[in-house]
Amino acid sequence: MKRERTPLREGLFTEDVEGGALLASRCKSCGQVFFPKRGHCLDCFSQDMEPVILGRTGKLYTFTIVHMPTEHYDPPYCIGWVEFPEGVRVFGQIKGWESQPLKIGMEMKLVIDTLWQEAEKEVIGYKFEPLFQDAET
Amino acid sequence: MREVAVIGVGSTVFGKFPERLLEAMGSEAVWAAINDANISPKEIQFAHCSTLFGGAVCGQRILTEVGISGIEVVNVENACAGGATAFRGVWYAIASGLYDIGLAIGAESMTTSPIAGKLIPPAAGDLAGEMGNSAPAHFALSMRRHMEKYGTTLEQFAGVSVKNHHNGCLNPYSQYKKELSIEEILNSRMICDPITLLQCCPNTDGAAAVILCPMSIARKYTNKPISVAASVLKMGDYVSRWKDLASSDLTVKCTREAYEMAGLGPEDIDVCELHDAFTYSELSHYEELGFCQYGEGGRLIDEGITEIKGRIPVNPSGGLLSRGHPLSATGVEQIAEIVWHLRGEAGKRQVAGAKVGLAHTMGGEVANLEAGSCAIHILKR
Repeated sequence: MKRERTPLREGLFTEDVEGGALLASRCKSCGQVFFPKRGHCLDCFSQDMEPVILGRTGKLYTFTIVHMPTEHYDPPYCIGWVEFPEGVRVFGQIKGWESQPLKIGMEMKLVIDTLWQEAEKEVIGYKFEPLFQDAET
Repeated sequence: MREVAVIGVGSTVFGKFPERLLEAMGSEAVWAAINDANISPKEIQFAHCSTLFGGAVCGQRILTEVGISGIEVVNVENACAGGATAFRGVWYAIASGLYDIGLAIGAESMTTSPIAGKLIPPAAGDLAGEMGNSAPAHFALSMRRHMEKYGTTLEQFAGVSVKNHHNGCLNPYSQYKKELSIEEILNSRMICDPITLLQCCPNTDGAAAVILCPMSIARKYTNKPISVAASVLKMGDYVSRWKDLASSDLTVKCTREAYEMAGLGPEDIDVCELHDAFTYSELSHYEELGFCQYGEGGRLIDEGITEIKGRIPVNPSGGLLSRGHPLSATGVEQIAEIVWHLRGEAGKRQVAGAKVGLAHTMGGEVANLEAGSCAIHILKR
């Protein structure tokens, strides 16, 4: 039986021909960007918000390889924070950490991938992956 | 606001005691505090009791074992900062003049809790938690930032665990009484790279209790009253405003306010008990508490400055790493430890001539916040 692809949350990310992107919101009054989206600004409390799509690449801010099981994941797996050009830090899992050592500051791209599987559904979310090739050329 | 004094402290030995009921541990700590204060249980006018996993009306269940009934009891939950929150509540009710004699209790049985031997699970709706974050991971992410930004070494972090386990050997209340080497710590099982098992606080059972009253009547009970010079408790700020994961902005904010309230500065602190849930935590808190500049935490370890005989002894009890961490009991135990040092009653781990002590407690993981809360208490004799 084919599992249904279900996003971890509605309104977190989008998938198009270029790949995945994160759905954020910007305060029209003070300019602060929030991810995930907010109905009002947490800085100035304005309710005048506009949707923005974050850039698809950012810089690795910090990471850890987890060696213990957590609810949905078997070890080892890698998680970290990526800093986007909009000034937003986003937490997520990191793919491709096994093939080459990660370094803080390296360019990361956003990918949409399976987070975990349940009996009837496949939960999908965003992850980050190093742009190794770009860094070498 | 009236000046408030600690007149009695008590604690159980910390450790893994799955056969011990929370009520038994709590009442043992309360009795020890009552005997220490040389007070009749009948004089206790109110109590704040903290537990996270101990269930409803924990304070009443403990006091019933002691022989105290009919008084106001407030049950407090504030994750790992619960004990510090209970202490602050009692301090405030006495400082404001509402009551004269109050009791703060913290009690936790981690080995019989639903999370015994496991991780504290993420709250529903915690996006990072659902993506695989956890408390050790949270601190591992900060630790790597600290290493990247300041060049702090794995050996310096391990040095925190060496020191605290050494101190634990000197503390009869400590869960562990075992010396550890840097090699043993760094070669222990990897938990969240670069945090290894012996850099994490353990699962612990235990209870602690503290009795407070106005300074004006404290000498009726003790010739060594310890004054509460500052009490600060705040929730964390949004991760989006967190300047750098290498440091706790929340600790900085609370510390500044506490020093101002006490009219003291970091140079006045003779002994400190801080929230070393992980080795990284202790090292970064040195910086946030003003014991050194940002990035110099590792140097304090290299130079032995935070050892019992050093310039600013930190966690002479063994801290969370060695004395153990029964979540809600920790904040109350830290106060008891500081009081023993200020009275000169800390035995083999005594910090010589300590006059001013600081207790720092962190509590709780909240999605989108740096931390749930931070409490700072400054005590002086």
